[in-house]
Amino acid sequence: MSRIIDVLVVGSGLAGLVAALTAAREGRSVRMVTDGMGSLAISGGCVDLLGYAGGQRLNDPWSGMDLLPPAHPYRLLGASRVRAAVDMLLQCAADQGWPLHTAATPEGAPCNALLPTIMGTLKPSYLLPDGLDPAALARARRILVAGVHGLRDCRPALIVSQLRRYRDWADKDFVPFMLPSPLGATHRSLSALDLARLVDRPRGRDWLIQNLRKHAGQCDAVLLPPICGSRADASIWHELNQAVACPLVEMLSIPPGVGGLRLRDALLRELRRHDFELVENARIIRATTDGKRCTSLTALAAGQERRHTARAFVLATGGILGGGIELAPGSARESVFKLDIPVPSDVTLWSEPEIFGNHVFSRLGVRVDGEMRPQDDSGQAWYDNIFFAGRSVGGYDFATEKSGHGVALATGWQAGRMAAATAGKFHEPASGEQL
Amino acid sequence: MSVRINPDQCIACTTCVVHCPVAEATPNFLGPRMIGPAYERFRLLGLAEDPSLHYCANCKNCDISCPHDVPVSSINMLARAEQCKKQRPGLRDWVLAHGELQARWLRLIPAGLKNFGMLNPVTRAVLDALGIDKRAPLPRFASQTFRQQARGFRQSGQNRKVVFFPGCYVDVYDPRTGLDMLWTLNRAGYEVIVPDEFVCCGLPMVANGFWQDARANAERNLATLARWREQGIPIITGCPSCALMFKTELPEFFPDLAEKHGLTPLEDAQEFLLDCVERGELRLESENRASLPELRVIYHAPCHLRAQGNGLPGLELMRRLPGVASRNADAGCCGISGSYGFKKEKYAIAQDIGATLFRTVRESGAHVAVSECGTCRVQILHGSELPCLHPVSIVRQRLEALNPA
Repeated sequence: MSRIIDVLVVGSGLAGLVAALTAAREGRSVRMVTDGMGSLAISGGCVDLLGYAGGQRLNDPWSGMDLLPPAHPYRLLGASRVRAAVDMLLQCAADQGWPLHTAATPEGAPCNALLPTIMGTLKPSYLLPDGLDPAALARARRILVAGVHGLRDCRPALIVSQLRRYRDWADKDFVPFMLPSPLGATHRSLSALDLARLVDRPRGRDWLIQNLRKHAGQCDAVLLPPICGSRADASIWHELNQAVACPLVEMLSIPPGVGGLRLRDALLRELRRHDFELVENARIIRATTDGKRCTSLTALAAGQERRHTARAFVLATGGILGGGIELAPGSARESVFKLDIPVPSDVTLWSEPEIFGNHVFSRLGVRVDGEMRPQDDSGQAWYDNIFFAGRSVGGYDFATEKSGHGVALATGWQAGRMAAATAGKFHEPASGEQL
Repeated sequence: MSVRINPDQCIACTTCVVHCPVAEATPNFLGPRMIGPAYERFRLLGLAEDPSLHYCANCKNCDISCPHDVPVSSINMLARAEQCKKQRPGLRDWVLAHGELQARWLRLIPAGLKNFGMLNPVTRAVLDALGIDKRAPLPRFASQTFRQQARGFRQSGQNRKVVFFPGCYVDVYDPRTGLDMLWTLNRAGYEVIVPDEFVCCGLPMVANGFWQDARANAERNLATLARWREQGIPIITGCPSCALMFKTELPEFFPDLAEKHGLTPLEDAQEFLLDCVERGELRLESENRASLPELRVIYHAPCHLRAQGNGLPGLELMRRLPGVASRNADAGCCGISGSYGFKKEKYAIAQDIGATLFRTVRESGAHVAVSECGTCRVQILHGSELPCLHPVSIVRQRLEALNPA
């Protein structure tokens, strides 16, 4: 690990990938150190920007940003930076043959889409791949709801009965249908990912096309689990759509959600075009600092310590589950710099009795400024070249807001950009770049 | 087995399922999450073993991908050890687990005869019946082992010392790589010590369920390593799987032995060479670089190297060589996983796993493929038909061409 790199990114979830990509696109050398693969790979592939705020479900996520508390990452960044982050992702994804789009209001303004899940619920989300076209569903009178024998987690009858509870869906005709398993009897129950990988191959596409064709003719749309390929290759969905001659719309699934794997594939492909290296299976345990500057991070890997020296650092280490935040009874702290995170000393106050309530624990995280630098109580940045991104950042509750990937994207973009600029100053001290 | 790993760190997030190459290749494997931590809870209750445990290739992609540091593959290997206690593994698995021992037994037979004996169609048919697939690329015995050849290698004028653990693959089948390592370390000013006492690191034994044999080898190796460690001489290996075995597997599986002899982690030889470059002991540049044609290299990172959290020093070494254009294939596991891909019921799975890598290598336009792991090299040649060398062989080739003696 002798090479000194410009930007060291810790964590390979969406926030880490976006930070790495943003810095790499600025021409910086980037090393990513990761302990586990991050949860993007098991998530759905949509970007939830902001589904709920101030107790309201939002049709327009942008209009809801002002309703958020002042310490929310979106408020710290400001809507224009969030927009810039969204634009960067749209461009990178399109460049990699995996275009994303947004739903639109009747007036043509971008808005949240309500996407059906394999539980028959609807979930608001903002950036969608081609395989998720809410307009096709809105137009459809008669919808084929497909499951697959052997895929236990997708039950058409359940989905239909649940969807009928929604006003916009109540008067549609549904045709529940089970496709035969393409793999026959298997030792393990199938997941959507198994089927998606089969559909990567011509044999799997034939299976899907032949079986859907029999029934799709009498329908206006097909709802199916996320099985239209496992990679960021939109041509698979287009080929299927054309062959079945009926719009196919994937439902969001429990992990492995397949969609996230596709988005990750697109981002990694884009990253490989740049000066980027990945160090896997290494956990950052400690930082070495010199005043307000961090000089290196030390990783523990295979029982040995390794030092990673860089000019700027992005910590996208995740939240409580991801390992970015450590909890003890009555206290919480960030796991690398051991930054204290203020919490009520009475742990019973950390959560609400209502499971979907406003839990303190779900908003725990590092307090940052608008540049994503960690702040002390007086609002001063602890370090000049450290930037946080994603779930390690405090002040938002992705589960109740439906803002998870959106905050990861926006904070990752800002952290990557600030880290790139900071590393750049190192190269050219005279540069008067406006941040 | 006295060692047990608590499975309760696992939250069943399915990240390992997404990254397991075997689960991708066959729906007959329960998959890492289910066969590892989830099934471990049944094992602790005394329930019968799942019949698909044998599909785990011990490639470590579950461990690499796990966000909660669950050593999934180790849970699987310990379960296999328990299973093998109850039901002895067959002759085929013994043969695949004890390649080094067989080589020692056969050492008086000339290599030509050995290779004829092992690789002729009749023997291959017999081995196939035994469960070693007749299509699998069994490596050829070298005329002399690396350690025999190393004795005749003249090392002169070096004032620094390093101990080299060759690993069975280099010792028995691929002495050329070992000699290239010797040559390069000599060039960096190191006298290379290759102790006779070293035996197989034991990873193939663990993977095939021969726990007691792995333990015996560990005891012998750790005692030898401790002697050299006490003299303050660095100990390195060019084989990622051997390094992984010493760094993480032995202390996990045999904590009593690790305590008795102390831990001696084997350093990665490629990283050691990079450090030599940094210290100015090894010079990779030369004035006459323009005279050499560009060499295009496609690099494959062995899974057992990725599992060590140390990046890809072999690739970095390639990138520092003048006139070498190297690209990371980044195309996943090659499928072989030591002896796994030689097994008749696993051969097709291994080829399926490696298919993306083989295609990437074939379409790369590279002159040569490069990888640190011996069996990865065999598998890449088999699947892509492009020769595959250890990074240190490229280093030697280039340095010899740049600076003719």
